[in-house]
Amino acid sequence: MSFKDILNSKKFAVTAEIGPPKGTDIKEMLHHMELLKGKIDAANVTDNQSAVMRICSIAVSKLCLEHGLEPILQMTCRDRNRIGLQSDLLGASVLGIKNVLCMTGDHVSAGDHKGAKPVYDIESVQLLKAVDGLNGGRDMSGNEMKGATDFFQGAVVTPEANPLEPQLMKFDKKVKAGAKFFQTQAIYDIGKFKEFMKHARNFPVKVLAGFVVLKSVGMANFLNKNVPGIRVPDELIAEIKAAGKEKALDTGMDITARHIRQLREECISDGVHIMAIGMEDKVPEIMQRAGLL
Amino acid sequence: MIITKKKDFGELMENLRGYKSFFLLGCSECATLCGTGGEPELAEMKKALEAEGKEVTGTFVAKTGCQVLGTKVELKPHKDAISKADCIVVLSCGAGTQSAVELYDDKPVFPANDSLFLGNMTRLQMFDERCSLCGKCILDKTGGICPITACPKGLLNGPCGGCKDGQCEISPDIKCAWVRIYERMKKLDRLKELCETTIEAKDWAPSQKPRTIVAREEKKK
Repeated sequence: MSFKDILNSKKFAVTAEIGPPKGTDIKEMLHHMELLKGKIDAANVTDNQSAVMRICSIAVSKLCLEHGLEPILQMTCRDRNRIGLQSDLLGASVLGIKNVLCMTGDHVSAGDHKGAKPVYDIESVQLLKAVDGLNGGRDMSGNEMKGATDFFQGAVVTPEANPLEPQLMKFDKKVKAGAKFFQTQAIYDIGKFKEFMKHARNFPVKVLAGFVVLKSVGMANFLNKNVPGIRVPDELIAEIKAAGKEKALDTGMDITARHIRQLREECISDGVHIMAIGMEDKVPEIMQRAGLL
Repeated sequence: MIITKKKDFGELMENLRGYKSFFLLGCSECATLCGTGGEPELAEMKKALEAEGKEVTGTFVAKTGCQVLGTKVELKPHKDAISKADCIVVLSCGAGTQSAVELYDDKPVFPANDSLFLGNMTRLQMFDERCSLCGKCILDKTGGICPITACPKGLLNGPCGGCKDGQCEISPDIKCAWVRIYERMKKLDRLKELCETTIEAKDWAPSQKPRTIVAREEKKK
């Protein structure tokens, strides 16, 4: 069953991430694909994540297809103008890539080519509209194309953004621009997430809640201090602290599994998106603990 | 105004290597306000060049350095000083430098400053970039705050995921442009308009370089 069919059939969807490496050695990445194959419903392929130059997401999405993993192609507006983006979307389409996640993209100042010229010719809302147009057989200039795309397009949202109102305005615009599904920034407070979902449920879109496993108290504090839109509550930090250093990761995995289980049992979200960040091998175990395998 | 910054003196001296005598040209407008090309800066530059064993044949602060014809007239009395100089060093913006290039096609012209942006002066010699001269103003739609300039990504339809406690991910010193826009539109009771309008992909054609305009012809239209 395709990712789109799973979401439309109201099954609880699980996605994870494949991060293309810097360089042509793809052994470890292929190993991650093997680990996730048959377990998750689709894998996001990140697009030069954190503005750090790596293998392009289209090539790695194609590798996912070849290795039996359905890709969600992440496309950011940072590195290509509208000609490049549309051209790459057509290319992705003919390679058999069906899902695309439209994002603005981290600024070049966050990455490893700080002197690069940021493009942002268009942004996420406009990219979603462009995908919708391509699906309808027309490019952004209104030219009719020979053959349309058939993308299932999604976007991202930060449910715990502060302030939240402008973020919700953008969410609404993304829905209007044609987003069919959303994957969220990591969430740690289910109560707050429920509040966000009350808003999201006004629209006919699917929402996959994002998860980043806490490995330590230090990591939780780092996220709170440095990562926009992430708020790890004090009680979770206390829980990890109480577990002790050796069991910190194990407790973090338990917390994630517990949250996923709650989202699923209470039908709060349509699925989850697990961002392993270097711990891809732990994803099957988290799924197991959450009762998903 | 055009905001300029003095080039590093070492870099400038490297560029001027091989020349012995200079005519210094400043500007009474932006460069004077920036403290990069008024009378005091010309005097300071003269002193610094002389300390390096160079000769300064003359100095002049143009009224408006980017106005080519006006500057040409103003520089007539300095003809001898200019002809005696190996080259001209311009202490204004890139436009002022290129006025001199146009007027003296047989003489090397060097910039003493780096030109940065179109700025608003908020306090004495404090400047903010608020307009990118994009060629098609959208301030009517964004509560008078330009996201093309104030947002590092130039986003047109709301904040990115990098907004942290209302500040920009690029720098905690910058307030998120879209939080500012949102707050202002809320205050003006124009939120509905802001939320319901999706700004289309921008037409960048009016910003394609180099741009020329004949204002008197535009008037006739």
